[in-house]
Amino acid sequence: MAAAAETTLLRSRRRRRFWGRALRGSIPYGLILPVLVVIGVILGYPLYWLAKLSTERYGLFELIRRAGVSVGLDNYRSVLHDSIFWHTLLRTVVFAAVNVTLTIVFGTLLALLLVRVSTVVRLVVSSGLVLVWSMPVVVAVQIWYWMTNFQNGVVNYVLTQLHVGNFFQHDWYATTFSQLSLVTLLIVWGALPFVVITLYAGLAQVPHDLVEAAEVDGARPWRIFLDITLPILRPILLILTSLSIIWDFGVFTQPYLLIGQSKITSGNYLMSIYLFEEGYFKSDFGRGAAISILMLLIVAVLSVVYVRKMVRIGETQ
Amino acid sequence: MSSRRRGRRARQAGWNAVGLAVFVVMVFPVFWMISTAFKSNDQIVSLSPTWFPLHPTLVHFRDAIHRPYFWTDVRNSLIVVSVTVAISIVLAFLAAVALARYRFGGRKLFVVLVIGIQMLPQAGLIIPLYVVLARYHQVNALTGVIVTYMTFVLPFSVWTLRGFLLGIPKELEEAAMVDGSTRLGVFIKILLPLMGPGLVATSVFAFITTWNEYIFARVLLNDQSKQTITVWLSYFLGSSRHTDWGALMAASTLTAIPVVVFFLLVQRRIAFGLTAGAVRG
Amino acid sequence: MKRRNIVALVGVAVLAAALTAASTGATKKAAANSLTVWLQVDAQSGWPDVVAAANQQFQSDHPGTTVNIQYQNWGDHLQKFDATLAGGGGPDVIEMGNTEMTKYMAAGAFADLSSYRSTFANSSSWLKGLAASGSFGGKLYGVPYYAGSRVVTYRSDLFKKAGITKLPSTTAEYAADAQKLLAKNPQKGFSPIYIAGTDWYVAMSFVFDYGGGIAARISGTWKGLLTTPKSIAGLTAFKNFFLATSRASKTTDETHPNPYDVYAQGQAASMIGPSWFSCCVGTKYKAATAQFVMPGHVKGQAIPGFLGGSDLAVPVTSSNTALAADWIKDFTSTSSEKALQAKGNIPNATNLLGSSVNERAAARSWFVPTAKHWVDVENGNILRNMLAQILTGKLTIKQAASSASDNIASVLNQP
Repeated sequence: MAAAAETTLLRSRRRRRFWGRALRGSIPYGLILPVLVVIGVILGYPLYWLAKLSTERYGLFELIRRAGVSVGLDNYRSVLHDSIFWHTLLRTVVFAAVNVTLTIVFGTLLALLLVRVSTVVRLVVSSGLVLVWSMPVVVAVQIWYWMTNFQNGVVNYVLTQLHVGNFFQHDWYATTFSQLSLVTLLIVWGALPFVVITLYAGLAQVPHDLVEAAEVDGARPWRIFLDITLPILRPILLILTSLSIIWDFGVFTQPYLLIGQSKITSGNYLMSIYLFEEGYFKSDFGRGAAISILMLLIVAVLSVVYVRKMVRIGETQ
Repeated sequence: MSSRRRGRRARQAGWNAVGLAVFVVMVFPVFWMISTAFKSNDQIVSLSPTWFPLHPTLVHFRDAIHRPYFWTDVRNSLIVVSVTVAISIVLAFLAAVALARYRFGGRKLFVVLVIGIQMLPQAGLIIPLYVVLARYHQVNALTGVIVTYMTFVLPFSVWTLRGFLLGIPKELEEAAMVDGSTRLGVFIKILLPLMGPGLVATSVFAFITTWNEYIFARVLLNDQSKQTITVWLSYFLGSSRHTDWGALMAASTLTAIPVVVFFLLVQRRIAFGLTAGAVRG
Repeated sequence: MKRRNIVALVGVAVLAAALTAASTGATKKAAANSLTVWLQVDAQSGWPDVVAAANQQFQSDHPGTTVNIQYQNWGDHLQKFDATLAGGGGPDVIEMGNTEMTKYMAAGAFADLSSYRSTFANSSSWLKGLAASGSFGGKLYGVPYYAGSRVVTYRSDLFKKAGITKLPSTTAEYAADAQKLLAKNPQKGFSPIYIAGTDWYVAMSFVFDYGGGIAARISGTWKGLLTTPKSIAGLTAFKNFFLATSRASKTTDETHPNPYDVYAQGQAASMIGPSWFSCCVGTKYKAATAQFVMPGHVKGQAIPGFLGGSDLAVPVTSSNTALAADWIKDFTSTSSEKALQAKGNIPNATNLLGSSVNERAAARSWFVPTAKHWVDVENGNILRNMLAQILTGKLTIKQAASSASDNIASVLNQP
């Protein structure tokens, strides 16, 4: 009798433990469920549509009739055989590399600077960064253009006054290199606030007494940075680098507006502009979809190193 | 002792000078935008740059505010952005906790999905997104724009918050669990406050991205009474005639104010030192 | 703790469901008693009273129907239009630029309005340039709305100071006047006539003035015309004219910088462009500014000017074609067109033309080839690149014209 009661008790306890564990095991799934639902409901069909479209001939005619003609991998074939695609790809990779490097390096330096200044100056500088951040891109581009235009731009004026050279009515938009350099400056300038503020937030996690202890021991600032600060910043730097690669590779508005539609040629295309001109401007939506997917794959390849490092940090914990 | 303090103060003064120089250089374009808003039209186009308008005019601000639907569209932007940021940060934080602190099947797949979504060029999504939202009657509705923006904000928020979470040592949670709280209690009572800076940085970024977003708001919102402030701004540049630059600069200055206010309200959370003293080295 | 977690999840799920379900009330499908019209923002800032008058007329004829005017930007209205073509919810009437029409007509985006033609005012005397852009395959898809031509805006005070007593009647006289202006205004960067280097609207005016053309459809195939002797003569005339009279950059377009900004800075004595340029010449020179019709190379003839303009069309996705056509009829009525004319526009019919400089300039006009892929030629900057090559001397006129001509033909002949 007692033995039967004991087994029932054990069984019910085991059952409770099983359900308890099951419920606890379902917690992470429950935590990610809302994000999955939102992304799935909104982006599920568009992603499928994009993939399907990349295998179809789908222009304005087909758009109106809401039916495309399947052409298999022809869109991909035509893009991959286009020499402009490869030149643009190379140009964009170099462009993105320069942008990301400048952004991360200057962002880190500025974040370190923010740690060292007094509270008032910190507030002034970070408010300034937020002001920069808050400018609508279109307005920022227009201001940049005004500052650099050859007719009456202040940059030419200041450079000439400072006797750096004769920059009277120098046309900064004459060569591709010059155009893309200006675009780089604009993008880095606009990207620094996010990087600086995020890194500063990360630096705030660095234990202050550890740093002080090291300083008391006489360690040089360079060593402190490498041995204490950098390891703590590592995940955030990896995130910022991977995000910067993704964004700078696919940036569209700044180069398109700053260089101006009338000066955009296949000689100064960036990937996103190539996508826009070859796909959407020509209303060749099938081709546009194929280029989009190719861009996705390329960016994935470019950022895989950083993404994998980031994922691995999470795995070891 | 005092000499070291004096040395430190001198060094800080040096850094302060560098900081202010950085400020001047970075903010110059913004200064140019604001000063242009106060210049007369002649000064705006003149050959020699007018650094500081000696006779500032308020006519551009008046023009901007009196264009139809200014206040309505500001209100719409505030609604869209605050709802998007509030919900997204909560959902992203939950997902980031799952990724950073739990082991579960499909974890890597979820990470790949999150990072992969951001790699897709947005231009390709405009038409299919419109088709989907039209089916759910979410076109020309603020809620349609909100859920769209959430899909943009969630991926990088999850990704960034996960990074911040990974930077917080597990010993803190383990210490609290030894003291008797459950895992979830630890998250809410210990992790959340420590995540202050990370949450703030991410929400400021989410705020600014959605505040300045243009093309999806343009395509999804038809009635001028429902549009956001970026669409309102675009009308300055949309005509085939000349652009009223003074009014555009004035309008842009006005639309930048909420962002700066938001930042000033939340920035204190970044400045608080956190783990100082919590973990004994 | 687990309970709090579950509650949070449930709350989120409810919220998500509420979000998706909530706004069904807000976006009711456009009922038959509402008409959606897409006009460009030019109308909102330029002639809102004309729009209001048309709406009033329409509403008195159709008391149960409300008109919903939604203003669009030139830069992205087609992207928006494409989305509505794919997903529904588009306008019943849409304003299209005359160069944008052909591509969409060829794709079957618009409803056939041929049966309503007789109801549109002055339809028998529509401006040729505008009417051509609204027809495709013999059917009517777009109703001419308004047009704009190109004129010369000039500083009468500078002209007087340079001793120019009467306005030029040929381009040669104009070029000679430019030398007089140059002599009296030797400052660096001053242009007697500000023309941007890659301003193909001005350049093609010269080409058409000499009897040349851009492209023509001959037995079903597009052939480039820029290499014909007449076109070459026109391009040569343009090159010489530009080099003699304009100090603008040879490689930038007519919006970087805006000609009227250069004029307002005092760096130009005259400029060729739309008539509305006179709005923005700055307070200093407003009083001395006047306009005249740009002459051609033959005395007594104006140079053909590019006729820009807009048409009104009804998308196929609209379920209110009859109502839409009626609204268009009210908006392009004679009184409406006269009101547009009073605001400085060119009305859509020759019998309504007055004698303003803008309208006199429209007497001789040219238009782009009505080809499905013409917008690709424009977006590809083929003509602009050709002009830059010619003006900088990188290529001879014949070489540049030849490559541009071939390029244009291959783009226009795409399927």
